[in-house]
Amino acid sequence: MATLIHRPEYAGYDFGPEHPFTPARLAMLLDLIRSLGHAAPTLAAPAATREDILSVHDETFVAMVEALDRGESRPEAGRFGLGTQDNPIFPGMDLAGRWLAGGALHGARLLMEGSETRVLQLGGGLHHAQKDRAAGFCLYNDLAVAIRAFLDHGWRVAYLDIDLHHGDGVQNLFYDQDRVLTLSLHETGHYLYPGTGHIHELGTGAARGLSLNIPLEPFTESESYLEAFEAVVPRALEQFSPHVLVVQAGADAHFADPLGDLALTTQAFETLFRRILDLAGEHTQGRVLFTLGGGYEAQVVARVWTILYLTLMDLPVPQELPEAWLARWQHLLGPEVGHTLHDPVPAYPEFPGREERTRRNRDVVDRLLDSLLRYWF
Amino acid sequence: MLVKEMMRKPVLVIAVGATIGEADQLLHSRGFRHLPVVDEGRLVGILTDRDIRFSTSSLCPTPCSAGDPVSLAMSSPPLTADPLDPVEDAARIMRENKIGCLPVLDGGELVGILTGMDLLDALITLTGVTKPSSRLEVVLPDQPGELARLTTFLATRRVNIHSILTYPTPDTTVRTVLRVDSNQIRPLSEELRGAAFTVLWPLPKSSQLHLTSKPWQP
Repeated sequence: MATLIHRPEYAGYDFGPEHPFTPARLAMLLDLIRSLGHAAPTLAAPAATREDILSVHDETFVAMVEALDRGESRPEAGRFGLGTQDNPIFPGMDLAGRWLAGGALHGARLLMEGSETRVLQLGGGLHHAQKDRAAGFCLYNDLAVAIRAFLDHGWRVAYLDIDLHHGDGVQNLFYDQDRVLTLSLHETGHYLYPGTGHIHELGTGAARGLSLNIPLEPFTESESYLEAFEAVVPRALEQFSPHVLVVQAGADAHFADPLGDLALTTQAFETLFRRILDLAGEHTQGRVLFTLGGGYEAQVVARVWTILYLTLMDLPVPQELPEAWLARWQHLLGPEVGHTLHDPVPAYPEFPGREERTRRNRDVVDRLLDSLLRYWF
Repeated sequence: MLVKEMMRKPVLVIAVGATIGEADQLLHSRGFRHLPVVDEGRLVGILTDRDIRFSTSSLCPTPCSAGDPVSLAMSSPPLTADPLDPVEDAARIMRENKIGCLPVLDGGELVGILTGMDLLDALITLTGVTKPSSRLEVVLPDQPGELARLTTFLATRRVNIHSILTYPTPDTTVRTVLRVDSNQIRPLSEELRGAAFTVLWPLPKSSQLHLTSKPWQP
C-alpha cells in the first residue's frame, strides 16, 4: 500500500500548448488508474512556503520568479533560466512550483512521522532545478526540498534518479553533503541535456564517493540497463545505509520517448520498480518517496506510471487497456495505438549494435566501481 | 582567450644562487613541476623537476649534487609569452618546442606562468559544460553565411547558444559543435535535418524505435 499525493492544482504547472512537459500526462494517468477500477484516493498536500523553497534555492532566484509571475518585465530573467524555450514564464508559476514542492515535502513528513512507508507524488520530480536557476522544464526542486527536510530530521537520504536525463540539480545541491547519496542512471551527456553526469562527478569533501553516475550509451536496451543498475545500486545502498530512499521515476527512458534514446520497455520499468521496493525493504525499512519526472510520449507515460502505481499498491498488472480510456484520449494517443498496458513482446524489431553498447556500458560501470573503491573500503 | 586569463599568478620563483637541493624541496612541497629562476628579479632560466632528476642522476655525464647552484641544471634562456598573446599561440610554442611551460613577461617583469595543465583548463573551459545544456554537432559547408544560417535557425526557436566551437575537416566542410540551452535537442535535431542541415549528433533515432501517436496538441 502507498499514499498518493496529488491535487488538481498540479495541472497549473503548464508551460503552454507547444511544450512537452504538459499536465495532460497527469490527467491521462489518473484517468487510466481509475478506469482500471481503482478509486486511488489522493491526499491534497499544502503548498510549500517561501521558506521551504528557500531551504534549497537562492532568494534572488525566488524573488525573480515572483516578479516575473506578477507580470513584471525583467531583462535579466534569462540569467535565471527563465523565459527560455525550456522554461517559459507563465502566470501563477510561483504557486504552481510550490504546490509540487509542497507535495514532495508532505510525503517526506508522512515518512518521518512513520504513518506511511510508501509515498507516490503524482507529479513533480523537477530534478534539473538548480540553486539559482530554473532549467530543463524545472522551476523549484521538489525533490531537494523533501531531501532537505529529511536531513533536518537527522536522516541519511539515498536519492535514485531513473529519468532519461542526469539528475544534475539534486546532485549539485547536495554535492558536498555527506548524508545524501545521489545515484543517477541516464543516457550519456555526450550530447543529451544537461551534459553532465559523468562517472568522475563523485562528490566533494566529505561527500566524495557519494555522487554516483551511470551514463549509458544511446539506444541502451532493458537488459544492459538493468545489469548496470544491479552492478552499482545495491552495493551503493549497502555501503551508505540510508534511512529513506527518494526516487525520481521519470518515464522518458522508454524506447519510444521523443526526447531521448534509451530503449527500456514497460516490462523493464516494472522490474525496476519492484527491485527498488525490494531494496527499500532491505535498506530503509521500506521507506520510499517516489515522484514522477520526465516522459513525453502520450502512448507511454500513463502506462509506465500506472504500472508504478500498481506495483506500489501490490496490485496485479492487468493485460488490457480499458477501451473507454483509449477512446477518451484518442486525440492524443493517435490512430494506431496499442491495447495493452505492457508493451508487446518483442516491443520493437531488433536493431544492430547491442553487443557493442552492452560492452561499453560494462566498461563505464567498471570504471565507476574502480574509482569508488578507495572511498568505499 | 588570452594568456593572462589562463596563467597562474603570483609565480613561485627561485634565486639563481640557490642550490638544486633547495629547488627540489620547494617543488616537492608545493607540488609544482616548473620553477622560474631569477637573478635580482630578472628571469634568467627555467628549472623543471625533470632537469633536477637528470642533472643529479648517475646517467648524467657530469652529475650535479644537491649543493650545486641551480644555474648548472636550468634551461637558459627560457622561451616566454606575453600576457596579451592568444592562448592558442602559447600552445603552439609549447607544442613545437616540446616544453611544459611558458613564463609570462610584461615589459621584462615576470607576471605569471602558463603550464600544460593551464592549457588543459583552457580546453575544458572552451568545451566544457558550465550550464545545463545539450550538445549539437553540425557539418557546415565551408563558405560565407553557413554559420549565420545555423544560428539564425536556432534564434528563431529562441534557443540560446552557450558556446560554439568549429574546426576544419580534410574535406571542404567545417565541424561545428554547439552547446545550447535546450532540453529538446532531439526534436530540434530533426527540425535541423528537415531544413537540410547535416547533423552528426544527436544521431538519428532508429526507425525501429517508433510509436505513432500524435503530438500533444493536434
